[in-house]
Amino acid sequence: MKPYDAIIIGGGHNGLVCAAYLARSGRRVLVLERRERLGGAAVSEEVFPGFRFSVFSYVVSLLRPEIIRELELPRHGLHVLPLESTLTPLADGNYLAQWNDHDRNRRELARHSLRDAESYDEYGLRMHHMARAVKPLLAMAPPDPASLSPRDLLGMASLGGHLRSLGRERFHELCRLMTMSSADYLDQWFECEPLKATKSASGIIGTLAGPRSPGTAFVLLHHYMGELDGVFRAWGFAKGGNGSVSAAIAAAARSFGAEIRTSAPVEHVLIESGRAAGVVLQGGEEIRARRVVSSADPRCTFLDLVGEQHLPGELVSAIRRYRFRGSSAKVNLALGELPRFTCLPEPGAHLRGAISISPSVEYLERAYDQAKYGEFSRRPYLDIVIPSLLDPSIAPPGKHVMSIFVQYAPYQLNGGWTDERRQALGDTVIDTLAEYAPNIKSAILHRQVVTPADIERTLGLSEGNIFQGELSLQQMFFLRPAVPWARYGTPIRDLFQCGSGTHPGGGVMGASGRNAARAMLEEGV
Amino acid sequence: MSARTVVLGAGANELVAAHLLAQAGRSVLVLDSSESHPADIGWVAPQIVRALDLEGHGLEVKSPDPWTAVQVTPGERLELSSDVAKSVESIRRYSPGDAGRWPAFCERMAQLARALESIAVQRPPDPMGEGFEAIAEVLGLSLRMRRMGRQPVEDLLRILPMPIADLLDDWFECDALKGALAGAGILHLRQGPRAGGTALNFLQHHAGCAPGVFRPPASNLRRILAKLPGIEIRKARAAQILVGAGKVQGVLVEGGEEIAASHVLSGLDPKRTFLQLVDPGWLEPEFVRALRAIRSRGAAAHVILELEREPDFAVLAIAPSLDYLEKASDDVKYGQVSQRPYLEARVEDRTLRVHVQWVPGNSADAAARESLGDLVVRTLGVTAAQKTVLLPADLEKAFGWPEGQMHHAEPALDQWLWMRPTPGLARYRTPIGGLFLCGPAMHPGGWMPGACGYHAAREVLRKA
Repeated sequence: MKPYDAIIIGGGHNGLVCAAYLARSGRRVLVLERRERLGGAAVSEEVFPGFRFSVFSYVVSLLRPEIIRELELPRHGLHVLPLESTLTPLADGNYLAQWNDHDRNRRELARHSLRDAESYDEYGLRMHHMARAVKPLLAMAPPDPASLSPRDLLGMASLGGHLRSLGRERFHELCRLMTMSSADYLDQWFECEPLKATKSASGIIGTLAGPRSPGTAFVLLHHYMGELDGVFRAWGFAKGGNGSVSAAIAAAARSFGAEIRTSAPVEHVLIESGRAAGVVLQGGEEIRARRVVSSADPRCTFLDLVGEQHLPGELVSAIRRYRFRGSSAKVNLALGELPRFTCLPEPGAHLRGAISISPSVEYLERAYDQAKYGEFSRRPYLDIVIPSLLDPSIAPPGKHVMSIFVQYAPYQLNGGWTDERRQALGDTVIDTLAEYAPNIKSAILHRQVVTPADIERTLGLSEGNIFQGELSLQQMFFLRPAVPWARYGTPIRDLFQCGSGTHPGGGVMGASGRNAARAMLEEGV
Repeated sequence: MSARTVVLGAGANELVAAHLLAQAGRSVLVLDSSESHPADIGWVAPQIVRALDLEGHGLEVKSPDPWTAVQVTPGERLELSSDVAKSVESIRRYSPGDAGRWPAFCERMAQLARALESIAVQRPPDPMGEGFEAIAEVLGLSLRMRRMGRQPVEDLLRILPMPIADLLDDWFECDALKGALAGAGILHLRQGPRAGGTALNFLQHHAGCAPGVFRPPASNLRRILAKLPGIEIRKARAAQILVGAGKVQGVLVEGGEEIAASHVLSGLDPKRTFLQLVDPGWLEPEFVRALRAIRSRGAAAHVILELEREPDFAVLAIAPSLDYLEKASDDVKYGQVSQRPYLEARVEDRTLRVHVQWVPGNSADAAARESLGDLVVRTLGVTAAQKTVLLPADLEKAFGWPEGQMHHAEPALDQWLWMRPTPGLARYRTPIGGLFLCGPAMHPGGWMPGACGYHAAREVLRKA
């Protein structure tokens, strides 16, 4: 039989996106997923009878609009329900709500600070400009800054050209945004603590850094990237859970002729005379292909699937020092009734958005302090959603599904993660939430706690890092995962990378998968 | 006469600028408003030495050696010096693996220090600059970096934004060694070793030093500059910078005298220069906002102890581990003095000069001084006959350091190169014609005495 043009290792969203684009260009591709289900971290599972959870990633915000368009994902079943608000309950019974509705938002902010209500529009405009400045970079294969090859020089020149086209003011703002801490950046704009904290919380998600750590400000942009394209709102749920995102991409890939196999764990990449020739599955089955693409994280790809004996020493040491340090956990709850927040006890629109436990920047910073010495936060940052309010199909009638994202729960926990520690984390999260919604303890029917160790074991993400490596300045763009292998290629001929461990990485964005497919097609795969 | 140039301040930066302008034929008056001047610590760039023939005038540069020593166990110290082999032997007692890696580490870091030096001796590149010259500067800089080879370019891009803790974890395992080195990464910053950008600060302290030395030399730069003929230095304090038609007209001195000037170079920090000395009517609101956004929080206090007997060390740092430093920085995040602070003590005869970090700038009363002095004496385990404590507020008063910040603008990543101290001021010129900035808030910062003044003077002359 004719060999495959490409084998994609891993059926997460990036692997599937890469497969879809290759198949769309007429390549014969095969996706191999280790687990029995597709999606990687974007999966929906019926953890408890009648309750479907987006067990890991839980919202859609960054999925590139060009991917939605080009792969016609809505036709393949993707339906996004927008999140309209963010509620930050406060200990004194007050709250801060942020609404997508401009006037309502302004009135609410003015209740806390007139000055902040005034600055908010200007801030939004600035972020909008910054997001527009960054957007072309997301679709770019990062050039190698130390190379003198025409391709890389051209890449650097086009990067320089783009930055210069921004104009002085926006360029400088971008520089500041890339290097500042989110707390310092927001201090320039706002005075209302819950507002600053809730905004800066987006800068610490998935990264072991506090809101006062430089390099956390640029993530503030993420909230403005989705809105930009007008395809849908910045944040939303996929109907049926985040598994529907993966399912839609898989359906698109299949419609272009891609083959997808689940329960097919790859043991290693087959390397013959310095080039990738296929893969060997754990059962010993050998599948040959002209190209191999790995969507696994860099450590897994290079050190496990390839093996350091095939790699140059510099790359091996670069991958060894590439940092994962997973620091996020999930608590998934099946609820018999809705939570009643002290600040807004009745059910209402505020429950249909995100609920953020982030009363002040100091609260977040103290949560980080505990994590950096190897303990989970005694009072963690929580990002809570109740998707069953928007999509009743995922819970039995009258009952609800609550998803709680928890920061910080470090992978390197003192004494390691055990069953006891996992339950202790779950208790801490519930206790924290109960301070704002006292009925939560009696409302819980079932509880699932997912620690970074669980994420690593279940999904194969090293150290449980949800972004396949920290999104810090020294691991971005041409440094992701290592110079000069940031253009989706590897030192092994015909072996490519397409996971979040490559530029731009992070979140259910799909840009890495799309960029990798384009880089491969350019090379004439 | 209006061709006169007035320089505000009489530190190394101001005096370098004054002499360079005098050399170019300007009549220069320096107004010295400080009660005292801090010692000049840092690399004196050869460009400055040559331009003012400082060697011929007796410039003495002395590198501390050993440059640091940390206590590992009572009586046992890990000492690092300019002699790489000697440091290796010292490290070997605690970690043979680290000792083996020390020479390679020194070599890699020295390469990066050379890169930072070549950046420092030029005015900051302006990536958005118009015209041939600006673009040539940026391309020239990237070409010079590239010529160093692939490794240094990769290292620069990766290491500069890093936390110093990550950089040291990549190389070493010995806590005391990492603590001793990380000290250079956190000096004068409001951040602990796990914060991004501290590796840049670490390397800046390495610029101009021999491989393996991460603490800059001390010099008599200011003292010789003050004695060089060609400029007039007057003890006086500026009350106002006089502006007319958007241009500098002169300086009003406290006491009422008006000195006409075509150019004014201010070595005072930017906020003080504009918000206190210039009529606000001349400042755009956007510019004022950018000025206020400059971060210049103090981080350190100085404690000077007169000892009863000479201690058994010449230099001692209290930095047993990265976690120790990180915990010390946790306190200051919430406005507290570090309960277990980072200390760096140097002995001169029986005088012990101690750099204490972190001390926030929010209190400056006798009780705060007393308790900090006690904390330092206790931590070092010495007996002092006399204690002098300079809190950040005292340092501000004594040396004009805003909020006690020696660099005038925190040496953070977002206040570096073309963003130092804020993008609109990075080229030493200001929105007021004829008014220039020449203090350490400018590129390359307070690490290199005289360098900011050197660049500022060249900007003044560039136009003429």
